[in-house]
Amino acid sequence: MEFLNYFDNVFTVYHIALLVGGTFAGIILGALPGLSPTMSVALLIPFTFHMKPESGLILLGAMYTATVAGGAISAILVNVPGAPANIATAMDGHQMAKKGLSREALHYCFISSFVGGIFGVFILIFFTPPLARLSLEFGTTELFWIAILGITIIATIDSKSVVKGLLSGLFGLMLATIGDNPVLGVERFVFTDHLEGGVNIVVGLIGLFAMPQVLNLMEKYYSEKNPVLSSEGHSSLMQSFRFVFSKFKALSIGSFVGSLIGIIPGAGGQIAGLVAYDQTKKVSSNQSNYGKGEPEGIIAAESANNSMVGPSLIPLLTLSIPGSPTAAVLLGGLLIHGIFPGHEIFISENTAPVVWTFIDSLIIAQIFMLIIGLFLSRHSGWIMKVPDNYMAVSILVLAVFGTYSIGNSYSDVIIMVVLGTIMFFASKAGFSAVPVVLGIILGPIAENNFLLGKLIGGARYGDDWVIYFTTGTINITLIAICIISITYGLYSNRKSKRAYK
Amino acid sequence: MNQYFKISTLIVTLLAALLLFTSFDEVFNPSPWGENEDYLFPRFIAGGIAVLSLLLWFERDDKGKPTNFMDLLPGLGLILAYLISMNTIGFYMASMIMFFAVIMIYKKPEETKDFWRVLLIKLSISAVFILILYGLFTLMLQVRLPRGLFF
Repeated sequence: MEFLNYFDNVFTVYHIALLVGGTFAGIILGALPGLSPTMSVALLIPFTFHMKPESGLILLGAMYTATVAGGAISAILVNVPGAPANIATAMDGHQMAKKGLSREALHYCFISSFVGGIFGVFILIFFTPPLARLSLEFGTTELFWIAILGITIIATIDSKSVVKGLLSGLFGLMLATIGDNPVLGVERFVFTDHLEGGVNIVVGLIGLFAMPQVLNLMEKYYSEKNPVLSSEGHSSLMQSFRFVFSKFKALSIGSFVGSLIGIIPGAGGQIAGLVAYDQTKKVSSNQSNYGKGEPEGIIAAESANNSMVGPSLIPLLTLSIPGSPTAAVLLGGLLIHGIFPGHEIFISENTAPVVWTFIDSLIIAQIFMLIIGLFLSRHSGWIMKVPDNYMAVSILVLAVFGTYSIGNSYSDVIIMVVLGTIMFFASKAGFSAVPVVLGIILGPIAENNFLLGKLIGGARYGDDWVIYFTTGTINITLIAICIISITYGLYSNRKSKRAYK
Repeated sequence: MNQYFKISTLIVTLLAALLLFTSFDEVFNPSPWGENEDYLFPRFIAGGIAVLSLLLWFERDDKGKPTNFMDLLPGLGLILAYLISMNTIGFYMASMIMFFAVIMIYKKPEETKDFWRVLLIKLSISAVFILILYGLFTLMLQVRLPRGLFF
């Protein structure tokens, strides 16, 4: 219960002001398409230079928590996830908004984010030692299969066609291989100078989600009426609270899956949200409503992506291995404040107060995220009052700004626009952007671990290195889940096509 | 399978063939240092894409969504001009012109009344939008962006 001793450090006027400011700015930044939590935290790091370590980390932690939740606003209101973690939220959230229930969707989002977030931070506090040991069990082959599992899950989520879902995921993986080979450092598929640095994850995300939206708004400006996404709802805040807590199963699956995925290095909120969404869908009695505005989908996805935040810091604080891309950026924030992760930081007199204050501040940040998020959800309808032409050009300018600022690279802007334009036309043929983005995110994890696993397997088994990938309890379990996911996806496809006929 | 899907499936198949060929190029033309495994992982991916692209020919699908090129082309043209001009006149100037051009070209019929008033209002909105971005990102967050005229 050591964490209880450091709440005093959080409850100072300065730190509360940082928490409120960081949360408010985080929700707004998270809501802007293309401004991901990773980029928001990275942008903020220079501002924490002149602060005390605990103050800087409190601000970064508040920003991390709030941007993940804030990304749901644009996912729900404009169908552009503000962050990769909100991909699953957009599937049902936007459909609810189309039915004029955007306020309910936003209420469900912030309440379930709060529940998941608190659950995740307590997992971080109480289960750090055993869960850190569990994550140590994941070697190269296990991480490779985790990445492959992510791709197979896409097939079941992209319910229209498993083949197209897998194809999109593989194209994403292929895009991730552009540039230097991660182990041998040799350039691949660099057909033009613009591709020298490869395809950055955030560049891919902005291009694949923001650009098609820009082109859609332009294409349909005259021919279609603007989608009616009213900020008005029918339920009171109390009704929303009661509703969310009545969906205990979705909340539990979301919080549990999010926490579990959070501790797996590199996995992040996007996988947490999608896996929780998929698992909740599989056990739900309203399966056919998923993708058409099912609140359970939002509750599962949002509780998962916020419950991931706390546990993603477990491998980071104990092993220096980030549990998510944003946690990787946060590692930079820790290092510039002279905090080097490891068991030492919980023992040392200098670092223990800083780390425990930071962890305690994450609990308070969840409370502020709920209050400010619910307040903003009442007023976020103004986004929908912006005409489509203003919305299109604003998203475009912000997308270009966001893309350029990642690496000060003009080539990234070109890649973003080209990828987005291709995706716009591909979506008309039934391909989805979600698997492509996941492929880009999982690509480096899959390839790195594949090559390292092959090296280790080769040393142990010679030419039969494949044995190394197919033995061990965790490997076999992950392979089995992959096979079940594909089989289930094919079965669901067949069933839904028969029903359609 | 309708015409739209035939074309898209053909494009995917050709792309799969190209990826497969490129990833095996090293095998056909080995480097002087002998064969290495730079392309090993992409080969598996390209193989998977090739198999799935063949399966795509047997897919039965709904009708594809047609593209309204008439309304889309001005936007695509503006985006191209925006990208080209960004490096010469700078991010902020190019963005302001882009903002103004889009809201002037894409407008509802009712907006054609009182042309000069609408023009002045839209020009002001474009300038305010860019000034907010400049204040927030360049002055406050000190983000580096392509520079050019004025900024």
